[in-house]
Amino acid sequence: MATDVIQLENVWKIFGKNSELAMKAINEEGLDKATVLERFSCVVGIADVSFTVPRGEIFCIMGLSGSGKSTLIRHLNRLIEPTAGTIKVLDRDMSALSNDELRGMRAKHIGMVFQHMALLPHRTVLDNVAFPLEVQDVPKFKRWEISQHALSLVNLNGFEDRLPHQLSGGMQQRVGLARALASDPEVLLMDEPFSALDPLIRHELQNQFVSLTKTLQKTTVFITHDLDEAIRIGDRIAIMKDGRLIQIGTPEEIVMQPADDYVADFVKGISNLKLISAHSIMQEINSYTVPEGISLADAPRAKEDTNLEHLIDISITTPLPIIITNAQGVDIGIVSKDTLLTGIKGKGDE
Amino acid sequence: MNNTTIKANVSDDSSMQHAQAESVHRFTERQGEYYSAQFEKIQSSNRLTVTFNPKAALFGPCWAAARNIWGFFWLSTFALLFSLVQLGRGLWGELGADKLAQAARLSDKSQEMAVKAQSALEAGAANAAALLRNSENLQRAADNALAAANEAAQGAEQLVIWGSVFLILVILIQGFIANLVYEKKYCQWRINNSEKSGFSYPNLLLGLAMLTMILPLMLYRFTAAKPVEWLTAFPANKAIFNSTSSWLDKAFDAIALQGAGFFDGITYSIRILLDGLEVVLVDTPWPVTTLVILFMAWRLAGPRVAIFTIAALSYLAFLGYWEKSMATIALLGAAATLCVLVGVPLGIVCAKNRTVDSIARPVLDFMQTMPAFVYLIPIIAFFGTGKPPGILATIIFGMPPVVRLTALGIKQVPPSIVEGALAFGCSRRKLLLDVEIPLAMTNIMAGINQTILMCLSMVVIASLIGAEGLGTDVLMALQFAAKGQGLLAGLAILFCAMIIDRIVQGCVKPTGRPAG
Ligand SMILES: Nc1ncnc2c1ncn2[C@@H]1O[C@H](COP(=O)(O)OP(=O)(O)OP(=O)(O)O)[C@@H](O)[C@H]1O
Ligand SMILES: [Mg+2]
Repeated sequence: MATDVIQLENVWKIFGKNSELAMKAINEEGLDKATVLERFSCVVGIADVSFTVPRGEIFCIMGLSGSGKSTLIRHLNRLIEPTAGTIKVLDRDMSALSNDELRGMRAKHIGMVFQHMALLPHRTVLDNVAFPLEVQDVPKFKRWEISQHALSLVNLNGFEDRLPHQLSGGMQQRVGLARALASDPEVLLMDEPFSALDPLIRHELQNQFVSLTKTLQKTTVFITHDLDEAIRIGDRIAIMKDGRLIQIGTPEEIVMQPADDYVADFVKGISNLKLISAHSIMQEINSYTVPEGISLADAPRAKEDTNLEHLIDISITTPLPIIITNAQGVDIGIVSKDTLLTGIKGKGDE
Repeated sequence: MNNTTIKANVSDDSSMQHAQAESVHRFTERQGEYYSAQFEKIQSSNRLTVTFNPKAALFGPCWAAARNIWGFFWLSTFALLFSLVQLGRGLWGELGADKLAQAARLSDKSQEMAVKAQSALEAGAANAAALLRNSENLQRAADNALAAANEAAQGAEQLVIWGSVFLILVILIQGFIANLVYEKKYCQWRINNSEKSGFSYPNLLLGLAMLTMILPLMLYRFTAAKPVEWLTAFPANKAIFNSTSSWLDKAFDAIALQGAGFFDGITYSIRILLDGLEVVLVDTPWPVTTLVILFMAWRLAGPRVAIFTIAALSYLAFLGYWEKSMATIALLGAAATLCVLVGVPLGIVCAKNRTVDSIARPVLDFMQTMPAFVYLIPIIAFFGTGKPPGILATIIFGMPPVVRLTALGIKQVPPSIVEGALAFGCSRRKLLLDVEIPLAMTNIMAGINQTILMCLSMVVIASLIGAEGLGTDVLMALQFAAKGQGLLAGLAILFCAMIIDRIVQGCVKPTGRPAG
């Protein structure tokens, strides 16, 4: 439990004047979103969300526009107060924090990147990045040094003294990223940070971001509506719909076993070659009957976490099936050409 | 209820149309069929559509009342009244009745005079000729009056014609614009469902009640030759007025007596500020003051303003207004400083606190619209005459813009930027000082500028209660109708205003930034 940096339990957010009443009615009568809107004219923003994020994980939240992603992430640093439920970050109950403690948490431990940048228009890029340090009363020389470093992480050297409106949208987004990194927080909250970037820079930043957070052991909640992005960087993905989390799982689980049609629609057309490992398509080595005229002696071997793309590369070079080994090097399964093709074709075949 | 709910149809397109129609039905409550057809017609064309609503045409005000469109109701009522009054005057109004009476009176007099003249003539009196001339004159006046009466009677016909033409026009216009207006109302209703607009009997009754109040009284007033007196003049009670005003007098006296210490304190503190400013501006040798002003103009607002400032200052100096201008600027400076010191914080509080805002708003309106002469009276009662009361009067008039614009500026700071700052642990105080005020600065400076100019425009009025300066010169000129002197002093005030305005605007530029 101690390694869980973020813990949410049955969190609800209902917007509107009568949110308390609406919450009560929901608990007692189990109303749905439309009824709540009609009876109390309240919008259900977040409905009964629970999840935990362990240290060092990148947790992606996906969902259509208006599904409540931004609302959810704002709960994690209490920019929005939940109507019900508990939220713990770094083992501290967020709703129980005093104002000073909350400010301390936000300044030191939780960095945030906004969908709409939210840079201060009257301050230079450098001063924007230095803002979280300024709040913590870091002296100017020191904070400029740190901010300079953060800016170089996102390739913005030389733009320190510009004003935000003199930068392109993508550059502004990177300033936002640098600002979130500047105070070196344990937790990063990212609300579609890369959506305004061009594909090349986005790709580069994604890789950079993953390696950065992995080496620095940062815990990240990452919102995106791009499944490719979620799969590329997410350790786990949560799919959100109408304020509810419908499914949480690794990219592979989400693609292979979508919980319902909504998720299935989402993952349709995603190339699973990189995603699916040998482990999930192989046949047990015991149940495999070796066809006549073939000897397994020369068959190539591959680790169980090899992905399909790699398996194809191996398979092209030989007519033989591939033997799959586990981490200890023990043979545990076999992938024949037929199995491989079925695996590529996709789920629902068995 | 003839309200029929329409089931969504199979085809997408027609179901959309049905949804539209259904929403119109819900909006109108009655005659949904008719209005949905009319609205569709209006919404299908980008130009002005010709639709005619016979009910609205015939029963204009009643229709509007029942449909809760009160703007239409009043316009239509007044148009109707106007045409009916013309008609009524033409038909029943005894037009020229007074002229006719006058003619009869005059001709009686002339007859009398003629008789007198006759007898005088017979008696051989000397004044007979004069009397005769008199009688003739009277007769001519009577004839004129008769002609006027005839003309007026003929005017009656014209009134009838114009009245009916106007009435028909009103009916036609009503009919043609009713559906357009109603469609606009429908669009508003779509945004805000709470705005009721369907057919409503209570509203109809209310409208009818108002019509029965208004129409007969108006018609009676304009057609009767001599309407009863209580209609033409409000039966006011002089006693109420007298007792209230004398009660107010006593109240003022009591407050002045009770709060003497308080009022003196205010006067005293204003005087300290003013004295400080006057010493600096008036007693400093003029070359020093000129140099400082010029330097400020040049650095803050550029060479062009500096040249203008030289010209303006020479005008003031050579026409002998130097000292008075400096006194005026000191007065103004004190007033403007106090306005800003009180107004900016007040504006910030207004932006943050609903209650304060809802109290301050009407007070500010009051301060700005109340004629200055009215609050000069209590100011004299409480603070006496002289410069400090003059400054107070100036503050009352000059403060509203800076409060309003500060509040506006703070409110206009984008919430996303505020959120961004808060997310990094910014405290409320830092948020205000380092985010909100800098972002609202353009607005605040505009407010300060406005305030300064408003204060300047009060200079003349403040001089009425003894705040000496350029205003006094204008006042004197006014008293003695000295045109030249008045114009010169007025120009001097204008130049003071322009110098200050340019320099303050120059201050705004460095912090100003392109919006967005
Ligand atoms: N302050 C508010 N008052 C009322 N409803 C709100 C408020 N904020 C958000 N909502 C509602 O909550 C829902 C979720 O909004 P949110 O901004 O979280 O969506 P999102 O998933 O981030 O969408 P996007 O991908 O477009 O950014 C929306 O239906 C919105 O109307
Ligand atoms: Mg969002």
